[in-house]
Amino acid sequence: MADGSIEFKGSSFTLSVLHLKTEKLADLREDLIKKVAQAPDFFYLVPIIVDIERVDNSIDYQGVKLLVEEFKFTFVGFTGTVSKEQKKRIRELGFSFVNSANSSANNSVNNTAKVETPVNPEAVVQASAQEIIPAEIAPQLELYTDKIHRGQIRSGQQIYAKGQNLVIIGSVSAGAEVIADGNIHVYGSLRGRAIAGAKGHHQAQIYCQNLEAELVSINGNYWLSESMEQHWSLPAYIHLSDTELVSSKLI
Amino acid sequence: MARIIVVTSGKGGVGKTTSSAAIGIGLALKGHKVVLIDFDIGLRNLDLIMGCERRVVYDFVNVINGEATLNQALIKDKRVSSLSILPASQTRDKDALNKENVGKVLEDLGERFDYIICDSPAGIEAGAMMALYYADEAIVTTNPEVSSVRDSDRILGMLSSRSRRAELGLEPIKEHLLLTRYSPKRVEEGEMLSVEDVEDILAIPLLGVIPESQAVLKASNAGEPVILDTESDAGKAYQDVIDRLLGETVEFRFLLAEKKGILSRLFGG
Repeated sequence: MADGSIEFKGSSFTLSVLHLKTEKLADLREDLIKKVAQAPDFFYLVPIIVDIERVDNSIDYQGVKLLVEEFKFTFVGFTGTVSKEQKKRIRELGFSFVNSANSSANNSVNNTAKVETPVNPEAVVQASAQEIIPAEIAPQLELYTDKIHRGQIRSGQQIYAKGQNLVIIGSVSAGAEVIADGNIHVYGSLRGRAIAGAKGHHQAQIYCQNLEAELVSINGNYWLSESMEQHWSLPAYIHLSDTELVSSKLI
Repeated sequence: MARIIVVTSGKGGVGKTTSSAAIGIGLALKGHKVVLIDFDIGLRNLDLIMGCERRVVYDFVNVINGEATLNQALIKDKRVSSLSILPASQTRDKDALNKENVGKVLEDLGERFDYIICDSPAGIEAGAMMALYYADEAIVTTNPEVSSVRDSDRILGMLSSRSRRAELGLEPIKEHLLLTRYSPKRVEEGEMLSVEDVEDILAIPLLGVIPESQAVLKASNAGEPVILDTESDAGKAYQDVIDRLLGETVEFRFLLAEKKGILSRLFGG
């Protein structure tokens, strides 16, 4: 048996939890439409755990999974303080049951092979109040704080927002470089290089009021100026779809 | 306290020394006590433009090294008595200067003069850094072409990060944009960046636009700063620069291509 090619390790993640208050998929869909419409990009491919504590075993588990996936969430599993029968049923259907760190239930074996984001049985789950959906759902796996820079970033200057988003109130000159582990916002012209998601963050985005960049890069996928013709000299928003950069009109 | 103004650019040949000389004389003509310092050690030029090259005995490096006093090294201008020049050394290199000694000289000069104009060498190396380190204000001299604008941008970055004011966290250096060798005709033909283009990229207040002019070369060769040529466009534009430096609001001139009439064509207006 080969050894050393893999390693299992426990790790904690902050995940968004969707609390269900009804078994009726139609009602859930209606509320999800409203919620997601407020910030479609925020929820895009966000890993999500569904809390079924307040619904009974009659719920259509497969239907719930398909519903959240329809809204472009990445379904991780179910959670909540539920009966053994309910847990068993969920497992039989091939879904993960995730215990939150503060739940007293026994650890269940977690089938992470089928989900995109590896989740530990002790996944840290966001606490939420009495709402159907928590008012503030984590936009990404990690919540980045902002590093704010006022003024121009001149040619030859480099700014790195380590573990943060980068907000520049001013322009980034040609020959300057702005780098962030999170998103980059330029409230001015982006004429230099912008590298977002520098440490591997697929959902990082770049926003600017005037796109004339030498290079933009998200999670290692980059564009040179010639690829930006479509939104050249315009307010633009750049993000990643699979491994392709996409630019859209900002306003 | 004297106002220390550095005339800088990053790129060479854009008109730093010409502008330093014009601004020095212009301020002195307004009755201020002004000293012009040539920081371009090894490539002494300011004395030529000022027409005092035959009167250089001691220089900036001699003063730094304690080989001469300021009084011995300062050259009084023959046209305007309130103006002095501290020439660079032609035989040394830029390593002859260090922050501590330059600071001491500037402090001494600050007691005698109202304005200290530092004519920076090109580049972003030690010499240029030394010229801008103690500055209160900076006149960033730029030609309306992309490489000059980019180099000016680089220097602006240095002003906000490598100067004494930046290091001590004081109020930042006051930055002025001086656009030189501007040709409205070529801007109209799309061969040159316009004032608006340059302002958009550099995002600092415009101090002046000096039109491209035959008078500048003539003045340099004669050792008579172009500002003294009150008939020339360049001379008038530098005059406006002085007024703006002294806080006046003066409308910008020479931004549009001249439509020459037949008479001025004949008489070379």
